[in-house]
Amino acid sequence: MFDYRIRRQAFIGIIVLIVGVLIMRLAWLQLIEWQAFSGESRSNSLRENRVLPARGVIYDRNGLLLVDNQPTYTVTLTPRYFRRERIPLLAGLLGVSDSLVTAKLREAQQWNSFRPSPSFNDITLDVISRIEENRYLLPGVDYQISQRRRYLTGISAGHALGYVREITRDELNRLRSEGYRPGDLIGKAGLERTYERELRGQFGSEFKLVNKLGREFKPFRETREDVDPVSGYDLHLTLDNRIQALAESLFVNKRGAAIAIDPKSGGIIAMVSQPDVDPRIFSRTVSQKEWVRVTTADGDPLFNRATQSGNPPGSTWKPFMALMGLQTGVITPETVYYCRGRYTLGSHAFRDFGEIAHGPITVERAIQESCNSFFFNLMMQLNLDQFDEYAHDFGFGETMQMDIGEQERGLIPDSAYYDRTYPRGWTAGFTINLGIGQGDMLVTPMQLARYVAAVANEGTLYTPHLVESIRHPETGEELPVKFPPPTTIPIDKKNFKTVKNGMRRVMEHGSGRWAQIPGIPSGGKTGTAQAPGGQKDHSLFILFAPFDDPQIAIAVLVNNGGFGATQAAPIASLMAEKYLTGDIGPVGKWRIKQLMTLQSEKLESTQEED
Amino acid sequence: MRVWYKNFDWFLVLSWMALVGIGLVAIYSTTHGPKQEFLLESVRRNFDRQAIWMLIAMAGSGMVLLLPVRFFQNMAYPIYVLCLILLVVALAIGREINGARSWIHIGGFGLQVSEIAKVGTVLAVAQLLSSRRAQQNTVRYASLAVLIILVPAVLIVLQHDTGTALVFFALIPIMLFWSGFPFSTIALMISPAIAGYMALIYYPVAIVFSVAFAIGLYAYSRERYVGIAAFLFTIGTVAITRFALPAVFNSYQLARILSFTNPEAEEYRYTTGFHLVQSKAAIGSGGLTGKGFMLGTQTQGDYIPEQSTDFVFSVIGEEWGFIGGAIVLLLFAFLLVRLVYVGVQMKHPFGVMTAAGAAGILLVHLFVNVGMAMAILPVIGIPLPFLSYGGSALLANTLMLAIVINLYMRRDDFSIYGY
Repeated sequence: MFDYRIRRQAFIGIIVLIVGVLIMRLAWLQLIEWQAFSGESRSNSLRENRVLPARGVIYDRNGLLLVDNQPTYTVTLTPRYFRRERIPLLAGLLGVSDSLVTAKLREAQQWNSFRPSPSFNDITLDVISRIEENRYLLPGVDYQISQRRRYLTGISAGHALGYVREITRDELNRLRSEGYRPGDLIGKAGLERTYERELRGQFGSEFKLVNKLGREFKPFRETREDVDPVSGYDLHLTLDNRIQALAESLFVNKRGAAIAIDPKSGGIIAMVSQPDVDPRIFSRTVSQKEWVRVTTADGDPLFNRATQSGNPPGSTWKPFMALMGLQTGVITPETVYYCRGRYTLGSHAFRDFGEIAHGPITVERAIQESCNSFFFNLMMQLNLDQFDEYAHDFGFGETMQMDIGEQERGLIPDSAYYDRTYPRGWTAGFTINLGIGQGDMLVTPMQLARYVAAVANEGTLYTPHLVESIRHPETGEELPVKFPPPTTIPIDKKNFKTVKNGMRRVMEHGSGRWAQIPGIPSGGKTGTAQAPGGQKDHSLFILFAPFDDPQIAIAVLVNNGGFGATQAAPIASLMAEKYLTGDIGPVGKWRIKQLMTLQSEKLESTQEED
Repeated sequence: MRVWYKNFDWFLVLSWMALVGIGLVAIYSTTHGPKQEFLLESVRRNFDRQAIWMLIAMAGSGMVLLLPVRFFQNMAYPIYVLCLILLVVALAIGREINGARSWIHIGGFGLQVSEIAKVGTVLAVAQLLSSRRAQQNTVRYASLAVLIILVPAVLIVLQHDTGTALVFFALIPIMLFWSGFPFSTIALMISPAIAGYMALIYYPVAIVFSVAFAIGLYAYSRERYVGIAAFLFTIGTVAITRFALPAVFNSYQLARILSFTNPEAEEYRYTTGFHLVQSKAAIGSGGLTGKGFMLGTQTQGDYIPEQSTDFVFSVIGEEWGFIGGAIVLLLFAFLLVRLVYVGVQMKHPFGVMTAAGAAGILLVHLFVNVGMAMAILPVIGIPLPFLSYGGSALLANTLMLAIVINLYMRRDDFSIYGY
């Protein structure tokens, strides 16, 4: 028998050697290369998710909640983990086509293969639970709870509130550094766009551990590293839900705009532009087809007629002309002009409506009767520079620093404009029409409303605005609302008084007498602007009330609605009545009935004005 | 007559208990941690099943401890033959699991015959080599021993369980070593493995090794042909590894073999190197103290395949850190050294060979499994004894340990039947 001892020592030596090698390797991995492998395991399993803050909500001027949020489920795809052979299963669960899933998958891949991309919005809880049941079969499929806008009152106010919609690729490239990701909702128009930053709040983040299949299974470090989102600020508007609702209902079958402004502050009480797009449709997923249908509908519903449509102001321009004439001293309240029903310039006659001769007439009566000859005569005594100066004093021909971004400047022509447009020369015959608000000039309904408000308050030009205050729902902190300060129009109060008297006579004896507010004296002016293309004229009306202490100033445009008195005037009157009395009397109810039978002339082509 | 427990080796039992306990903790973490909600119900029960197998193994060990020494010597061949029959049966009608056809199902429990066959083979070789008289033909006995080991090994290869078969091959030099073969012969037998390994990693080192090995062996044996054989063996392996491997294996198999040298490389990372990248990341990120019980992100995130079976060491490394991993390795070192020590004390070749065979099998398993988990060896699917989930392996390894404890306990009985 040989000696086992030496074998024993040798074998124990081998055991010690092998275990020693293993322990050294273990020490190398865990003590020396620890950091590298920690990084490796983290990049494997740690995922940062953004936590969306609650978007700020929107209240009307009486504290009524107009817009808030409601939770919705979004199904996400993580392409790295998703198995292509499961496309039919997922499509079946979601009730969409295989090709849509394929398309969404490709979209997600272009963004990031390793991160969940929000791919299917607005999924019901029912579908989510069925996906949950199949989660073994669907690696790389997950869901998030997100929010969508909920509109609580009946109003649309699409052009005022605007809407939120999924961020586009271009916006994403621009805003990625601010934390936006694909699938995020972003304000696209109106207030939602202007106040996107305030409404959005600050994105938070949470850290999750994910498993091999890309599913989150546990918070990282018991959520200690997570950052809570900060909710957005709430908007408190000057908009009055009641007036807005009324005005929208009055615009049934009509195209046009109505704006009501508080003449003491410039706060917008109602802002209607019809047709519009109900923002509710954007709170759901809008398919490309639906989007096209909505945006190319007759009358261009995405076009904000309140701030973007320029039309000649027609006779609503006459109070402005009167103010200018009085202030420049060309006329006095007592100046009498003899109207023959036409104004002859050279060989051309500029006519009054129906060639009615008003006879001897003062400025107040000229406004009341809407006498064209009086204002042709006045225009002939003024020059274009004066016209421009005063028009700009009232804010015409300029965009406003207001909270609706979608605006047009309109057109107030100066001599440079005429030189440019008529290179072969121009004469007084080209500018005389400006005296009655026709010819080469364009004003927007918003500019018109602002002008009425300035007439009503006798010379203070406020910037119209929808937002009264921006307040944080939790801290109560207020952000400053920034608008340019009001400016004073260099026109004497006594001249305003004369013109306002003229406007009162319009309501009592003139073309506005069928639109009087029962029991409340007011001032107004009808207008009829020629529409191009042989269509029916645009119906215009401006109004302020009550006469002695104006609290509301209104401008209404009904496209192709005919005379100002027939459609625009009753709408303005009803809005004012509702605002001032809180109700509509029997006369008003009859007017509503009448209005419902009226409509804008049908469009002959999709291209309409200008 | 001394009281039985005077000779009962508590050290082996205690280290067995510690290892099985650590194994159960690791399996619990993989089945009851945060990841459990993603597991199939059947996988979630792995912990319970392993606990039941532990009880079965303990009951089996209790019965083993009651048997006399003579039983094992007399029954060594019959047990071996029974194992061979079972292997053939498994090959013929067994169920295929993970690509290996080595399972026989009895009632609700599946038995992996190849695990049991290790015990039978160790006993048979021990019986054969211990019956050799000192004067008898060494080569004949050695050939017989190799044959005894090769028959089950070949059957297991046929079952597509190459990893387990490898353990049998490794058993050959170990058993011959303990039966008194010259060191130089044993060294010759294992040198190709070392040279081949070196050639895979960095072949110049392998060439240096083969030269040094040949000179060293010549200096030790003072026989020229031993030195030449040593050089030819090793340099031949290097040449085969360098030039013949690509010819023999297809690119996928080759990638599997080579990927361990650099699993992070782009071409392996998500394919054949995936296990190793994830296992390394798990162990490495554990650091000194680990991420904590059921807090391993790699483990709970299910990044490491086979984490409760072949890669159980990565769970321990990640959740218990260097401290936990080193404790497991030191426990194994203690168990193995104790086995050798106990075996040598028996003074009877059968006892020595059985204990040495047990220690050898456990050592090979330990080295291959942990070496694989830490990516110093290619992925070879064999379990870590006592820790990995798997009832047959736990039962077989425990019984083998029980047999050694029994032989040691009754070592005085050897004299009656021995010399």
